[in-house]
Amino acid sequence: MLKIISGYGRLVIEVCSKEDGMHRWKRTFGWWVVLALFATLLAACGGAGGGGGASSEPIKVGAIFDLTGATADVGTPYSRGQIAFIEWKNEQGGIKGRRLQLISEDYAYQVPRAEELYTKFVTQDKVLVFSGWGTGDTEALRPKITEDKIPFISASYSATLANPAETPYNFLVAPTYSDQLIIAMKWAIDDWKAKGNSGMPKFAYLINDSPFGRSPLADGTAFATSQGIETPLEVPSPRGATDLTPQLTQIRDYGANYIFLQNVSSPAALAIKNAKSLGYDVQFVCLNWCANEILIKQAGADAEGVVGVVPFDHQAEGAKVALEYARKKNIDYGGADSTFVQGWTAMSILIAGIEKVVNDGKELTGENIKNALETMGEIDTKGVTLPVKFSPTDHAGVKSTRMFRVENGKWVAITNFISAR
Amino acid sequence: MQSGTFHTTYASDVSLRPYWPQRIRIVMVLVAALIFPWFADRYWLNLANTIAIAAIGAIGLNILVGYTGQISIGHGGFLAVGAYTAGLLAVHLGTPMWLTIPIASFFTAAVGAFFGLPSLRLKGLYLAIATLASQEIIIWLLTHGKLLGIGESLSLPRSTNNLFGLPVEWLGNNDFAFYWICLAFLIFTVIFVSNLFRTRTGRAFVAIRDQDIAAQVIGVDLFRYKLLAFATSSFFAGLAGALTAHYRGVISWERFTIDTSILYLAMIIIGGLGSVSGSIYGAAFMVLLPAFLSNIARALSGIVPDINSYLPYLQQGAFGLAIILFLIFEPEGIVKMWRNVKDYFRLWPFSY
Repeated sequence: MLKIISGYGRLVIEVCSKEDGMHRWKRTFGWWVVLALFATLLAACGGAGGGGGASSEPIKVGAIFDLTGATADVGTPYSRGQIAFIEWKNEQGGIKGRRLQLISEDYAYQVPRAEELYTKFVTQDKVLVFSGWGTGDTEALRPKITEDKIPFISASYSATLANPAETPYNFLVAPTYSDQLIIAMKWAIDDWKAKGNSGMPKFAYLINDSPFGRSPLADGTAFATSQGIETPLEVPSPRGATDLTPQLTQIRDYGANYIFLQNVSSPAALAIKNAKSLGYDVQFVCLNWCANEILIKQAGADAEGVVGVVPFDHQAEGAKVALEYARKKNIDYGGADSTFVQGWTAMSILIAGIEKVVNDGKELTGENIKNALETMGEIDTKGVTLPVKFSPTDHAGVKSTRMFRVENGKWVAITNFISAR
Repeated sequence: MQSGTFHTTYASDVSLRPYWPQRIRIVMVLVAALIFPWFADRYWLNLANTIAIAAIGAIGLNILVGYTGQISIGHGGFLAVGAYTAGLLAVHLGTPMWLTIPIASFFTAAVGAFFGLPSLRLKGLYLAIATLASQEIIIWLLTHGKLLGIGESLSLPRSTNNLFGLPVEWLGNNDFAFYWICLAFLIFTVIFVSNLFRTRTGRAFVAIRDQDIAAQVIGVDLFRYKLLAFATSSFFAGLAGALTAHYRGVISWERFTIDTSILYLAMIIIGGLGSVSGSIYGAAFMVLLPAFLSNIARALSGIVPDINSYLPYLQQGAFGLAIILFLIFEPEGIVKMWRNVKDYFRLWPFSY
């Protein structure tokens, strides 16, 4: 600019630089406003929260959900179930007149995000109990949970969380993944014999490529080999895969008769469809997180005959309250009845611990809630699960579950309760 | 009146902080950093530690990308190497952190140099794919950890969090104690890297970035300095990884996927390529953005009732939007914005 103007004399330069200065000033000012807004908002939000103690205050429950991440397909109905339970409980009058307040957010299945939200809810909002989601993040939070004394249920049923000596504040509200896999294998062996086959079947795992997917494999393989079955083939399905034919071809070449799916619904449905188009006739067995209605919806007719471990029975008496409430309130959970009921029931078990402490007239602390859960005996879920019972030495609340099969587009129970041990 | 800044000696030309406002500012920042933890609760300490660790990693990446002009999308993998080296030492040998952190850093530097070997022949997109391969190889090794006798996730014994025999709990709770450790390492990193670019080696890096053939012509050993850049960069990745391992107590490979590598690239692009302070701003921005968005949503939830159900999608969009806006309006990053602000005051009222 200067170069062009320099010939025109002093006055022009001054005017121009002034104009330019104005422009600059505006720009700088704009950034200052943005920075100031940012700072004040951060400060304002940081300052909020805290408090707690007075008995008229709501009881705060923290939760993280996966609504946008790798497991969002089942994460969304689960979260709807948990939110619905808190609303329903409040409509019932809360706990002795005290309201429950759910503080929750999406964490997109990312461990660092889970850590940040957990710390925020625990230190700033002073939540008393926490409901988590994935295996990776629950594992990562383990030391903090123990340090903060926050009773924690998770949608991860990893067996490593069941031992109170190591994780005194983690509670499992369903059979561990390991137990689920062993139960599924027991069924598979019976099924193999019932079909008149001799010898032993061959097993394969098609799993989510994450700690969640691998969680039960070591225990499952130990059980299988103890039964005289060849070491099962382990095949991870890559995240976000749109075609699992190569993985299934590998399993077919191995000659597996049963494929155990430790994955969420969408990739599991994909595997089932791919196997059909490949012409590979194999029995799929879903563990908890793909044995739901989303699988049937996505795999359509190909889902017929798929067997699953469904630890939370949505046809039971106790599930009716949840499903009716959802219908009344028009809650959209994508038709995943069993996952919705699972979220609802899991939350109800955690809240049962709080209720016990309040009814006993004790102070609401993480330690008291933990002790209440450990000593209160059986928590009745009205048939959704077997009665849940924790003890000071065992935090796996449920040990056995039933196998279901997809028949005419519905999950139907095909066995009685099977225990892993 | 002084119409600009002029150096009259070579010493002042190469000095790190020649102006008194800069020196005052450094003192102010240090004082703020020393006061902060006494007033912050654990949530803010957690954020501060996350930022400090991310900043160390981002400075490391900036050495490679911003200063030497080599692209790397394998930074997440190198963080994983650091974290797992420290983790394995702590779990199996009970090695304390004051040993595991340097060992992990040097080991990661060696691994980084190894994966930097293709950089001699490859440039640009080809190198990007080569580093992507290194990311995938490292993660593959970790997910198939039993092949190498590594568990998929490691949980570090608390007792290894000690400095020369003193347990860090002695300093206070975990977040508070690690604040000082992370801060100390960040200061070390900043001083080291700022000075690196006043040395022969640092100038060689910059020469390679600006024009590698010309650099070779004037006698810069390309192979040696490219590998050195990879090693130095990975050294800080390893440092950040090892700190993560000890701070978090539990590590799994999920923390170090390709997403992490991209996030670190985004940090240095938003903060400012080829700038130490820019890396810190970028790390702070990327860590605070989601926290900030969720706090806004919480504040607005009274006014806009359903905002929480949109929030996840807003957050996903915000990252993309932030990067696009920066690339359009200030491609040189936050550090350039800050420089504009400083220039405005320094040169006022005659900005020409």
